[in-house]
Amino acid sequence: MGKSEAGVNRRKFLTAAAASSAAAVAAPQATSEANAAPLPTHALPPSAAQMEAEIGEPQLIPAAVTSAGPGARPGSDFMVDVLRALDIDYVATNPASSCRGLHESINSYAMNKKPELLTATHEEIATAMAHGYAKVSNRPMGLLFHGTVGIQHATMAFYNAWADRAPMLVMSGNHMDAAHRPPGVPTTHAAQDPLALIRDFTKWDDQPQSLQACAEAMMRAHKIAMTPPYGPVAISLDAHLQEGFTDASLKIPKLTRVSPPSADIEALKEVARMLVGAQNPVIVVDRGARSHRFQPLLVELAELLGAPVVDQMGRQNFPSHHPLNGTDRARGTIGAADVILGLELADFWGVVNSYSDVAEPKQGRRLKDSVKLVSINSRDVFMKANYQDFQRFQDVDLAIAADAEASLPGLIEMVKSAITPEFRSAADKRKTTFGAAGIKQRERLLSVDATYGWDASPISSARLSAELWAVIKEHDWALVSRDVRLSNWPHRIWKFEKPWQFIGDSGGAGQGYGLGAAVGAALAHREHKRLVVNIQGDGDMMYGPGGIWTAAHHNIPLLTIMHNNRAYHQEVMHVQRVGNWRDRGVGRASIGTTIENPHINFAMMAKSMGVEGIGPIGDPKDLGPALRRAVQIAKAGEPVLVDVLTQPR
Amino acid sequence: MKKLLISFALAALSATAAQAADAARGKEIFMKVGCYQCHGTVGQGANTGPKLAPEPLALESFVAFVRNAAATQMPAFSANMVSDAEMADIHAYLSSIKPPPAFKDIPLLNNP
Ligand code: HEC
Repeated sequence: MGKSEAGVNRRKFLTAAAASSAAAVAAPQATSEANAAPLPTHALPPSAAQMEAEIGEPQLIPAAVTSAGPGARPGSDFMVDVLRALDIDYVATNPASSCRGLHESINSYAMNKKPELLTATHEEIATAMAHGYAKVSNRPMGLLFHGTVGIQHATMAFYNAWADRAPMLVMSGNHMDAAHRPPGVPTTHAAQDPLALIRDFTKWDDQPQSLQACAEAMMRAHKIAMTPPYGPVAISLDAHLQEGFTDASLKIPKLTRVSPPSADIEALKEVARMLVGAQNPVIVVDRGARSHRFQPLLVELAELLGAPVVDQMGRQNFPSHHPLNGTDRARGTIGAADVILGLELADFWGVVNSYSDVAEPKQGRRLKDSVKLVSINSRDVFMKANYQDFQRFQDVDLAIAADAEASLPGLIEMVKSAITPEFRSAADKRKTTFGAAGIKQRERLLSVDATYGWDASPISSARLSAELWAVIKEHDWALVSRDVRLSNWPHRIWKFEKPWQFIGDSGGAGQGYGLGAAVGAALAHREHKRLVVNIQGDGDMMYGPGGIWTAAHHNIPLLTIMHNNRAYHQEVMHVQRVGNWRDRGVGRASIGTTIENPHINFAMMAKSMGVEGIGPIGDPKDLGPALRRAVQIAKAGEPVLVDVLTQPR
Repeated sequence: MKKLLISFALAALSATAAQAADAARGKEIFMKVGCYQCHGTVGQGANTGPKLAPEPLALESFVAFVRNAAATQMPAFSANMVSDAEMADIHAYLSSIKPPPAFKDIPLLNNP
């Protein structure tokens, strides 16, 4: 029997070794020198003290922490090797005793390099960091949490990642063996099936029972996370596995390269025929861009077809100022379509139908029945029950269960071979007409709409966006927050062209995503020295303000602009709406929805965590100079926060 | 632009016509009853509600819209919630809001 790989088994080994040495004493003659199995050199018989510890009175110290013989190494060092094989650069953690083995191995075996630990002040922030990081780097971050209390803290953030299809590798500690784990808190923190809690909104999880199984589980988890649709995966790491010892006979499977599910060629031919047969083909896209390859492909397809693109902005899918960008004219553009190609839509039903949030809700199909619908969506490959982020069912003419990004090159080829000269000239005409109308609309937005409330205090969304654009546009910038709560002014004014300039929103619309995701995204942008802008809601900020400290602690440059409207404003409007339906409640929508009395001073908050805080700024005249100063700080490599008192939307 | 100014003047007239309408009081009511939530504190508009100022609708159409908004995306406000006199005050407030600076005088928007 070789030396076992884990403390639990080591205990068995020690007991067995004791039994066999007792047998040897009883019958010395029966065993000749020649046929006695040689003891492995690294598994010497236990000392008397070890024997006593193992077979004497029950010990509070689990067997796994007893020292190993020469040549053996900690199980969690092996886990680090697996993380390295997975090419994981960062592991975000909130420290947890059930993970102390792996934590210590990252510190002293990996020497905190590959992976490097990132300290978060809450698991939800750490998870949001992994979420933002993945959307910029297209790589998973590791997470290291307590299996129970840590996972419990992080659940909502996993749901966001799940709904937004962000890959990440969650590692959580657990003390499985009730007979050997420490009593008290570690036992309170143990669970039979700790990942059951998040199974509905993670792609896969496992709780391996040996280090070999652990290597395989982590490799499999990584492969599943990185196969579209991307998503979070979780591995429960038993503390005995981490803290036990191993010999060298374990194998790390090689990192499997994944070819994403791509559309069937016959299906693509059919789609191409439908698109080329259309008078007004329209493309609607949500989480299309998995990587930087997507945007140029979509531009090529849209231009070939002369098809407007309505971007639901789950990612940086399409250049904001492209002549075929119909996002600001979504209603009319979709209304005019005779064929709609939906790419990675979270909610195709919402494209086809309307729903009015009025006292007696009205809903119904807004498009003619004759409009042909085609969907390419990796969600069709993998879906789970219970949580309803799969939205209402929309029947379509052809649903292609495949990754849109992987399928676009094939579709482009098929369209090219289906195109006729007549279609070509009609497509070019569409592009010109649609583009010209777009320029007109944009002019109106800037010359009329943006000017309203220009000098208002609190500061208008258009003013804030225009002031910001003036200070960032000369830099290599990226926006790492959604701008719908600023009435989309950044997308109207800023030119989003580069594939890394936007990463969409939280996915699950769970609060507490913003700052953490921004810090994680900024970390991924750091090596490219980009100016990273986070427009941060005040309500969302208060879920996880500790992200400020993490940015400071790990020197992550990030320009955070507080969209400080002093309320959970969406909820103010919701409560108002219901009050109106009931014809009551004047002046009471603010109860339980506003963040006033006292006002939160976010600049002071930032300062308290070692980050330069500027503001609060309520006079629009002060905004430009404050932003210029903040950009200098961010460009010098530091996080900085500007608190801006804003209009609600 | 000229046309806009004229209709602004007309709207201002109709507001003045409303008995004792008071812009300052109107501002308070606009904030208290929650018009600001969707339209912005100076009625500048947002993706939650169109701009109301400058140049609000004429008082009668304005009140009619608010009372009958239930068919639209805006929740209606009955006279029970906001009285006619209060509506006139709100209208006076919106009418008192000066036009924004001319587009050509805002370099940030001319040179994006
Ligand atoms: C919950 C959001 C919300 C609130 C609160 C709200 N509105 Fe509106 N308002 C809207 C929306 C949305 C529209 C556009 C409705 C449509 O046309 O479908 C609108 C339209 C209007 C219009 C018509 C504007 C035009 O030019 O057509 C007026 C006038 C108006 N609102 C006044 C008010 C007043 C006065 C209040 C407060 C008493 C108020 N609103 C409160 C959302 C709101």
